[in-house]
Amino acid sequence: MYKEKRLHPATIFFNFLQFLKEFALPIILGLFTLRGQALLYLIFILGAIFLVILSFSVASWYRFTYRVEDEELRIEHGIFIRKKRYISINRIQSINLTQSVFHRIFKLVKVQVETAGGGEGAEVSLKAVTLQDGELLRADIKAKPESIEHSTTEDVPTDYPSDKISVRRLFIAGTTSGSIGVLLAVFAFLISQAEQLIPDDFFDQSVQWIIGLSLTLIIGLGIILLIVLWLLGIAGTMIKYGNFTITKYKNELFITRGLLEKKQITIPLKRIQAVGIDESILRQPFGFAEVYVEVAGGSLEKGEDFSTVLFPILKREEIEAFLEKYLPTYKSPSEELHTLPKRGMWYYLVRSSVLFLIITSVILYFLPQFIWITVVLLLIGLLYGFLKYKDSGYNINHKHVTVRYRRGLSRSTIRIFHNRLQAVEIKQHKVERMQALASVKLSIIGLLGSGTHYHVKEMEGKEAERLFDWYSYRKRDEANSNIYS
Amino acid sequence: MKQFPKNMIAKNAIKAWKLTAMIYVLVLWLLTIGVFILTYIFEWNFWYGGAAIMISLLCTYLFIFLFPNIRWRRWRYEVFEQEVYIQHGVLIVSQTLVPMVRVQHVDTKQGPILKRFNLASVTISTAATTHEIPALLEDDATDLRDRISTLARVEDNDV
Repeated sequence: MYKEKRLHPATIFFNFLQFLKEFALPIILGLFTLRGQALLYLIFILGAIFLVILSFSVASWYRFTYRVEDEELRIEHGIFIRKKRYISINRIQSINLTQSVFHRIFKLVKVQVETAGGGEGAEVSLKAVTLQDGELLRADIKAKPESIEHSTTEDVPTDYPSDKISVRRLFIAGTTSGSIGVLLAVFAFLISQAEQLIPDDFFDQSVQWIIGLSLTLIIGLGIILLIVLWLLGIAGTMIKYGNFTITKYKNELFITRGLLEKKQITIPLKRIQAVGIDESILRQPFGFAEVYVEVAGGSLEKGEDFSTVLFPILKREEIEAFLEKYLPTYKSPSEELHTLPKRGMWYYLVRSSVLFLIITSVILYFLPQFIWITVVLLLIGLLYGFLKYKDSGYNINHKHVTVRYRRGLSRSTIRIFHNRLQAVEIKQHKVERMQALASVKLSIIGLLGSGTHYHVKEMEGKEAERLFDWYSYRKRDEANSNIYS
Repeated sequence: MKQFPKNMIAKNAIKAWKLTAMIYVLVLWLLTIGVFILTYIFEWNFWYGGAAIMISLLCTYLFIFLFPNIRWRRWRYEVFEQEVYIQHGVLIVSQTLVPMVRVQHVDTKQGPILKRFNLASVTISTAATTHEIPALLEDDATDLRDRISTLARVEDNDV
């Protein structure tokens, strides 16, 4: 593939759409708020801007070329200033093909190429090329045999371990997705906006009508609303995780997902920093969980931090088997976690309720009639603290450390390899020392160089030291030399 | 029982920290004076000024007289072939292990106050964390930096 290639002309359309997306809100606002002559001016200005953007879109499409030459991916672009970017193929970590709804109409794909550098955004992003060109480029860059079998994105080579989500599981995942809350907020927002569109007198009438209705009918409407939201949650999950397929190649995991917008994600195994199991509050009682990995560098997916979902929903007892299949090194010989000593519980209770305690005392002083609200909050705080204490756990074996903790509404279990830990810290204040308790902080590579840190607070002091010694490379060396001598 | 890191940092660190603390506390005292002036002009309750004095006095005692000494006594570090072991903290004592294979770069730093006492600090960075050994004698700091960066060159073969 030595010939210079341009992106598919549909790119012009995409560039244009992207512009529209960014300016949609001000434009719509303008259309709604402005009246008469002001509106006319706005339309004129918008027309002019549209023309300029359109010509820029065409020009930038025309000037953007890519080719593979001398083991390099060579991109040249820029309208007035010519920019050239040559990326050595050896340095390319992953190449992802994505299809949005619009891509599918034209049978196109978006190609994202990432190098080890990481940071924000893909190193190179080809907005739209034909499916064939995309596959060809991927084959050229990866030069791996399976790419040829990959003539269409639909079929997956059978000789590699692979799993596809079942419709039933997808349904369960949607039901328990917990995005109901978010949808509720969106719905409330829409209603509040609708207020402006509906004529005032009609709105007043409806309000009176609603108030006039009996309580039972309101509850009935509420239930219908919840069902609608539930169905929306399922639809959302279907769209996001529909056809979710994970395949393991020699040293990378390959994920395809999405019903409308098709995404392909490649995760090189050596960039995985930790494996996590997330049990959200709706899934935990039913024994379901989501498996994710923390991946260093690159932006595999924007907006999802650097955690990438390995499988959206699994039964708890299936997880170890799943890990054995895809990440055998992460399989733990024992699942049993050590819990924290009882005397550490007080710290958790105090930490989670101290804010509410202060609020309660202030309210008690100024507005004693509202005390019950803060007391309820205080109780919720205490309960949350207790859950945090109860959920905290850890386990060390020769290879990795496993830490379980509660983050927000879900319980997370994270497993980190000894050599993925960047540093380990023990913290202890006077009172903790007297009680022989200590807190531990484990650090791994995180987003944008700041690192991700996991804490086990108020664990048995002796155990903290054991963890510390387990981490110490010096102690490991000593232990090894003792074996060999 | 866990053994502590062996090396202590330069004794002059106390002086440097005291000087730094003095600058901050000076600002606090200026604010306190400001409160008194405002109290005088607007005829506020005298208790505000009283509280400000109490806070300033407490901070002066803690940050200039008490903490620098404890902090210095607590600060220890030791560099092994495989890792750096650091202990520090006034109220909360923390002990940190930074393996050589994870060290990305080592820097020495010297601000105007450290310069005055011929001190420098060493900063050790990994991909996720940064650790500072403050206030070493200039020569010690340079030696330490060079030593760590040499040791950090080891290959990571523990996969």
